[in-house]
Amino acid sequence: MLDMALPLIMDALANAALIFFVAVGLTLVFSVQRILNVAHGSFYSIGAYIAASMGLWLISAGLNPWLSFPALLLSAALVAMVLGPLVERTLIRWTYGRHEAIQILVTFGLFLILEDLQRLVFGVRSIYQDTPMALLGVTEIGGIFYLNYQLLLIVLALAVLFGMRFLIKHTRLGRLLVAVVADREVSLAMGINTDRAFVLAFTLGVFLAALGGALATPTTGVAPGLGAETMVLAFAVAAIGGLGQIEGAAVASIIVAGAKVLAVYYAPAFDTVAPFLVMLAVLLVRPNGLFGTATTRKI
Amino acid sequence: MKHIVRTAGTLMASLVLATQAMAQDKPEQIDVGVFTFTSGAPAAYGQPGAQGAELMVDLINAAGGIDGVPLRATIVDEAQGAEGVIAEYRRLAGETSYQVMIAALSSSNCLALAPVAEQMQMPTIGWNCDTHQLFLDQQLDYTFRPNGNTIPEFVAYVAYLLQVNPDIERVAIINPDYAFGHDAAEIVKAAFRAFKPDVEIVAELFPSLGASSYQTEVSRLSAARPDAIFSNLWGADLENFVRQAQPRGLLTQSQTVLALGETILQRIDLPDGVIVGMLGDGYWLTPHAQANEDTVAFAEEYSNRFGEYPVFPTMKMANSFMVMKAAYEAAIEANDGEWPSRDEIAAALEGLETATFTGTARLREDNDGYVDQVIGVTGPSETYDFSVITNMVRYDGEALMAPLGEDPIAWIETLTPEFLETLPEPGSYN
Repeated sequence: MLDMALPLIMDALANAALIFFVAVGLTLVFSVQRILNVAHGSFYSIGAYIAASMGLWLISAGLNPWLSFPALLLSAALVAMVLGPLVERTLIRWTYGRHEAIQILVTFGLFLILEDLQRLVFGVRSIYQDTPMALLGVTEIGGIFYLNYQLLLIVLALAVLFGMRFLIKHTRLGRLLVAVVADREVSLAMGINTDRAFVLAFTLGVFLAALGGALATPTTGVAPGLGAETMVLAFAVAAIGGLGQIEGAAVASIIVAGAKVLAVYYAPAFDTVAPFLVMLAVLLVRPNGLFGTATTRKI
Repeated sequence: MKHIVRTAGTLMASLVLATQAMAQDKPEQIDVGVFTFTSGAPAAYGQPGAQGAELMVDLINAAGGIDGVPLRATIVDEAQGAEGVIAEYRRLAGETSYQVMIAALSSSNCLALAPVAEQMQMPTIGWNCDTHQLFLDQQLDYTFRPNGNTIPEFVAYVAYLLQVNPDIERVAIINPDYAFGHDAAEIVKAAFRAFKPDVEIVAELFPSLGASSYQTEVSRLSAARPDAIFSNLWGADLENFVRQAQPRGLLTQSQTVLALGETILQRIDLPDGVIVGMLGDGYWLTPHAQANEDTVAFAEEYSNRFGEYPVFPTMKMANSFMVMKAAYEAAIEANDGEWPSRDEIAAALEGLETATFTGTARLREDNDGYVDQVIGVTGPSETYDFSVITNMVRYDGEALMAPLGEDPIAWIETLTPEFLETLPEPGSYN
């Protein structure tokens, strides 16, 4: 058991890093706009497709392969800049103040549309673009070779976590978002442009999802269904950590990834269901998640 | 006299009309339903099958069709799930122009379609599905599988592994999480119990079908320190697994067995010495295939049209079309040159034996097929810029098949280590 401890921790952290990018975007959008965005997984897969396509283009054009690293970031930014404002201003804005069921149905419809659009544009075969992974090589830890790229993902996830904390606590935009989260009407009365805050928050959420997808491409094939697979785990993370909780998302990502990794190591038959068993257990004890708090609601 | 003439005239006219009516029964076109995956992760395996069907239709039509009647294939995507597949099957089988179905890729879809084929009395050729459960405990009159099944396929891999590595003691398994993966694991474990009972299974993983990340599984397999790793992952799952396992040294750390590995040789630069093969004998570079000028021409035409050489799903599909064509021709001959009914085609398929692109397809009494099993290891090619299969062996399909009526797993358990000595040696088929 002990000799497995190091690989278990390494795998849990590497898995948690990828889940965290998606979950933190999902939870940010929920905390600011009070919308559970089912289409969030599509932004993940679109980010992955764009990053893979851009990387393949770079290689086929004979450009320096190290450019594939900034290309990952650029792809996510591109997806966010195009889809973030577009989706928020057309569909999401229409759902503000409406019943949660309407919001979920609208975003679910958007998810289905985006999934089909991806099939139309990128086809149904898997796309592979593993240049960044190959460039970084491997490191032996506890007798097992890990991709240095996996280690980089852990560092990047930490950077996003601390970056988000810095944004919320120490920047003007962060304080505006906190004010809007606290009370939209009072924020409006005080002259805060809440519409703009919503667009920015949603675009940032899209960016984080697309970044997760882009960063996943060097180690996974990109194929239809990728978004749904990741989205389900992100929902589990959001439920365990508490919707709207950034630090909660970080801890919950480790819990979800840890449950999955433990299952793969010791009870492979349960590897798919393990994260959701943990989610169920947490929700039975703390219905608002580990870090969530019960809120009063106007009727 | 007038009455006799009138009667004779009426008879003649009736005969002419009847002959015309029979001639009209010969269709202007033969429709064939072809079921495979053309979307999702399994499409990496299913699409080459669909392309094989497309090419075979063109080649058969260019050679005059079947008894002068051209073919037309309707490709049905199995990714829609069993309910959709059954609905599509029923819809096509409801049209009289469809007399044969080539279905399916997925074992679960074959199991789902078999009772429908019986109900609708539609001759159905299983082109890829290979679960041994298909003909277990049931007599199917309209379902035929000339492409082999899981028993000879996976017993063969264990035999080959032990022939080239007789000292292995620790084995890990990573298979897809559905019937095909679990059946294969049972067969492999039974074969080890029979051939080398001291082998320990140190890890048994079943990742979900269509999973995108295998990094945890790669760590788990590395940590288990197996002497050999067996896998029957396929399609994009196999490609994903190999692309993630290879940089982390897994494929060279242990003797890896990729049962469906032939499908990725042209796409991924595998290290030398990985045991790879196919389900059956459908490798376009075997001595049998290369000695057949039709196979060589087919492979070249396929390469020209689709930009890569055929993989074994392509060859299995092509071989299924050859079986179908042989059945039509046998049925027409048995019917004195008249166009056959579905029942007559089914009758012609019973016990059929015909040459294929890669060997011989032979159906036994239960409609399951005897197909040889070809296995080898990856090695460099002097002709192609991708790895090819070297050190090949061709096991007789019948020798590895459970006798008719016997429980296949129980039959494997009756085998002994001495059985391996009766098999041809690796490298004997090059």
